[in-house]
Amino acid sequence: MISCRHCTVTVGDKILLADINLEVAQGDYLCIVGPNGSGKSTLLKMLLAILPSQSGSLMIEGKSIDDYSSKSLAQLVSYVPQNGGMHQTFTVEEFVQMARYSYHSVFSNWQPQDHQAVEQALQITQCDGFRWRNMSTLSGGECQRVMIAAALAQDTPVMLLDEPTAFLDPHHQVAVHQLIRQLNQQHHKTIIEVTHDINHAAHHARHILALREGHCLWHGKAGEFFDATRLKTLYEQTFVFARHPHHGQLIAVADES
Amino acid sequence: MTIQFKLILLGLFSALVVLASPWLDISAIESSAIKQQIIHELRVPRVLFAFTAGSGLALCGMVFQAMFRNPLATPFTLGVASGASLGAAFSVYSGISFTILGLSATSLSAFAGALLAISLVYSISRFRFGFSGETLLLTGVAISFFFSSLILLIQYLSNVADSFQIIRWLMGSLTVVGYQELKQLLPFVALTAAVILFLSRELNLLKAGDEIAISRGVSVKVVRYTLFFVTSLCVGAIVALCGPIGFVGMMVPHICRLIIGEDHRYLIPATLLFGGSFLVICDTLARLIVAPAELPVGVLTTLLGGPFFLWLLMRQHKKLY
Repeated sequence: MISCRHCTVTVGDKILLADINLEVAQGDYLCIVGPNGSGKSTLLKMLLAILPSQSGSLMIEGKSIDDYSSKSLAQLVSYVPQNGGMHQTFTVEEFVQMARYSYHSVFSNWQPQDHQAVEQALQITQCDGFRWRNMSTLSGGECQRVMIAAALAQDTPVMLLDEPTAFLDPHHQVAVHQLIRQLNQQHHKTIIEVTHDINHAAHHARHILALREGHCLWHGKAGEFFDATRLKTLYEQTFVFARHPHHGQLIAVADES
Repeated sequence: MTIQFKLILLGLFSALVVLASPWLDISAIESSAIKQQIIHELRVPRVLFAFTAGSGLALCGMVFQAMFRNPLATPFTLGVASGASLGAAFSVYSGISFTILGLSATSLSAFAGALLAISLVYSISRFRFGFSGETLLLTGVAISFFFSSLILLIQYLSNVADSFQIIRWLMGSLTVVGYQELKQLLPFVALTAAVILFLSRELNLLKAGDEIAISRGVSVKVVRYTLFFVTSLCVGAIVALCGPIGFVGMMVPHICRLIIGEDHRYLIPATLLFGGSFLVICDTLARLIVAPAELPVGVLTTLLGGPFFLWLLMRQHKKLY
């Protein structure tokens, strides 16, 4: 689906991402973890052609990303930006409808499949109850669901999410995590999610990519991610582990002592 | 009330304004032949000219507000109008006169000034300090001041006649005789309106954010450059012909957003209609308040716009903090 070989992103003389190699298969669920400023969001932006890769090759469905038009790329990859819902003044429905942009030209009319995509996205994310509300009046959790609904209405096989649970309370974090898993398992979306929640990544994702200072520190199966030395190198922070009382999986906790 | 119904009401209101304005303050004149002449050769062209200029200014303001996601970003606050003024003042001072494709030297240099200002503001705020609403506005203000002092310098260097011409024109005026100015202005505003209408869905997505727009499939760079080009062309033409008439581009689109909402497919016609009628109303007031003399209409719109700007500024800060 996505194949990234020796990709490098620089802005000015600053190297944001260096020599990234990444294969993401269809239906995969990849979490990108790493400390602040390690290039996680940059990687998503590279996959969206917001930032260009200066070297190597970046292929999506066997075709170089440079060969896609803006609209045809938008029919393959959708994006939930970090805090993207803040300061929006559209109504929920308007905002979700706008995600159908790439399927239209100036002269084309709204089609039944547009209507269906929007309705389905609103239902899956449970946003249909407040579709008439202005986004500036929504709570953080509602806002995030609208952002996901819009990406969903874009109807793409790949979805990129940048810290979708940042600033949400635990209840809404769980709700958004469940929603993402549902999209991956029931709707067969390929998910690439940037997150700071390493327990969520280790338990729910299929693969994990750990970035540090623009370099790939580790890439592998999510179940094999937890390792005291690895986490220590990644975050410069000691972690301790415990077993979850219900399902027995490892949980990492930052050691504050 | 549906949006369509609101638009129809706005259309009726605009028609009423355009039809009624030429007849106000005409009854004092006795001779019906003179009345006829005033209506046909002065009032009607003036009202149509004001409507066209108002529509153009309001549409350009709307585009800037959407592109920069800031209600305070307009051609006026971002220095485009002062760039255009500088260009026009320079052409008056240098006395160059030529026409290319029916465009006078003044229009062309006003256009060049507008384009210069917007590229300066955009590149400085984007590449030097990162891209935020505050730096953008402050850069615009700085460029405005800089250009204003250059205009003062040109005035200082000019002879009395040129200097008076520049001052009078900086106040903004819609006084026209016949249809010559309207014929010059209309193609610019019509072109701008057509391009903006063509890009209404892109404007919606730009309003939502550049990264969102790109991820939804908008060629943001192409759209931005196109919009910069046509709005600079339009503001340049308006400023060259009527002087910098301030604040229409800020007040009108903002009021329309409050009434119509954010969807540019409806906002564009609303802004066009309301911008036109707003400037016609202002011009009619400017004509009536101190009759038989006239206020420069730019003075009136700025008197209204100053307090509105402050109100917006305070409202915006209340929202943020």
